[in-house]
Amino acid sequence: MTIPGSVPDTEDSTAVISSAENASARPVIQARSVDKVYANGTIALKGADLDIKQGEFVSLLGPSGCGKSTLLRIMAGLGDVTTGSVKWWEQDYDVVGDKGRKLAFVFQNATLMPWAKVRGNVRLPLDLEKDSGPACEQKIDQALNMVGLSNFGESYPRELSGGMQMRASIARALVTEPNLLLMDEPFGALDEMTRNKLNDDILELWQANGWTIVFVTHSVYEAVYLSSRVVVMAARPGRIVEEITIDEPFPRGPEFRVSQNFAEYCRRVSESLEKASTMGQEQSQ
Amino acid sequence: MSNPLIKNEKFVQYAAPLFVGVLFMALWEITVRALDVAPYILPGPVAIFQALGENWESLLKALLVTLKVTFLAFFISVVLGVACSLLFIQSKWIEVSLFPYAILMQVTPIVAIAPLIIIWINDTTWALTVCAVIMAIFPVISNTTLGLRSVDPNLLNMFRMYRASRWQELTRLRIPGALPYFFGGLRISSGLALIGAVVAEFVAGTGGAKAGLAYMILQSSYNLQIPKMFAALFLITGTGILLFALMVWLSDLALRNWHESALKTEN
Repeated sequence: MTIPGSVPDTEDSTAVISSAENASARPVIQARSVDKVYANGTIALKGADLDIKQGEFVSLLGPSGCGKSTLLRIMAGLGDVTTGSVKWWEQDYDVVGDKGRKLAFVFQNATLMPWAKVRGNVRLPLDLEKDSGPACEQKIDQALNMVGLSNFGESYPRELSGGMQMRASIARALVTEPNLLLMDEPFGALDEMTRNKLNDDILELWQANGWTIVFVTHSVYEAVYLSSRVVVMAARPGRIVEEITIDEPFPRGPEFRVSQNFAEYCRRVSESLEKASTMGQEQSQ
Repeated sequence: MSNPLIKNEKFVQYAAPLFVGVLFMALWEITVRALDVAPYILPGPVAIFQALGENWESLLKALLVTLKVTFLAFFISVVLGVACSLLFIQSKWIEVSLFPYAILMQVTPIVAIAPLIIIWINDTTWALTVCAVIMAIFPVISNTTLGLRSVDPNLLNMFRMYRASRWQELTRLRIPGALPYFFGGLRISSGLALIGAVVAEFVAGTGGAKAGLAYMILQSSYNLQIPKMFAALFLITGTGILLFALMVWLSDLALRNWHESALKTEN
């Protein structure tokens, strides 16, 4: 683990991960023909096929009701599929939580326990796994350090700003040193400045630690900026329509946001979204 | 208006209602004297405090009897009520099957069943306590159950994702989250325990060594000792206010770090 601020050396070739290098990486998630129908008859997801490989940063992008959060929750084991199958590290869900196969989830809201201090909140996953001792304290320190909250361990969540609460929530996800990080529109409720800052921070952490991240968002810019691959989804019924590889080197910075390539990718992704939504309307008529 | 005391929030909080009380009593006394109302119809505050002083010993004894029943009933209500809530959240089936009976207890007028309970239970203190418990337990059950159920579903998901045991889920998530509701229940329940104790005593009409404040009121009214009756009434309401204040204090103590109800917000 490294600390944000210590940007990995760009000269270091291992720091630059392109999606081409990922092609042979080992699969983390394999979803096959996943359907999800809720009890009230809503078809949240239809025939979703998705592979997530080790070290990828994949964004699920789409309008409300396209099933992106549903798909993410299925990946987290928070809901069963109606038909189809999902594999984690090529095995059943039972394998999740074992060493090297840890999973963490960051919710749309910070979802902190208001009665516990930031440190207590970050400690929670370790407590639940009955992990304690000095090594545990060190992990908490590290996690707080990574998100820049070292001085706020003794604060209560209400004393923090929205962005800081989200950082605490991320620290809680990081404390177990997860291999797969699932994030459900984590920065959706934040202002643009905070969101950009957290985008950069999460990219930096991802690169430094070799995690796999699946990131749900409805922002085209955020998806293109962060991801090695964008999965475009459409609504009614929720489905995957296209996967667009963002073949740009990491680390990415502010200059990428204003580059010609960024604009071009955004245009392509937007077009794909547009096409998907009109297709959906035709189908539903 | 530059008096620093006026600006002191704490001072105003206590001084303002006290001022209203003193003003009210002064007006009361003046009216009673001006209209020359007979003390057995409406005594003035001075006469009431005189009666309080004269009958101090017997009133204090009666107060202790009532307090004993109140606290016993309140304690049992809290323990039993929380136990019921914990049982209810174990399964929807248990809650659905039993909750209507908790409501039944709440809507049955205590005055109507107190005579029965007094016949069934020989020991007066326990008979009165049971009546008071029937009155006081419902807010504890309903509030605590609601609190234990009102968990942030995402936090619950997270607990399940980290494979938390049911015990961990209860102690680390449900119970802390239910505390504000629980204390809300206590505030209502403490008052009801007192009312239940007094009402049951009215029905029981226990005299002698076990006579409580309700019996004092009954006796005084028979004997037309109206100031003494008011003095007993004053003690009952005073006790109720103190109980409520105690609950507020406890609640603030437990929640002051995180819950909105115990926090001061500035705009």
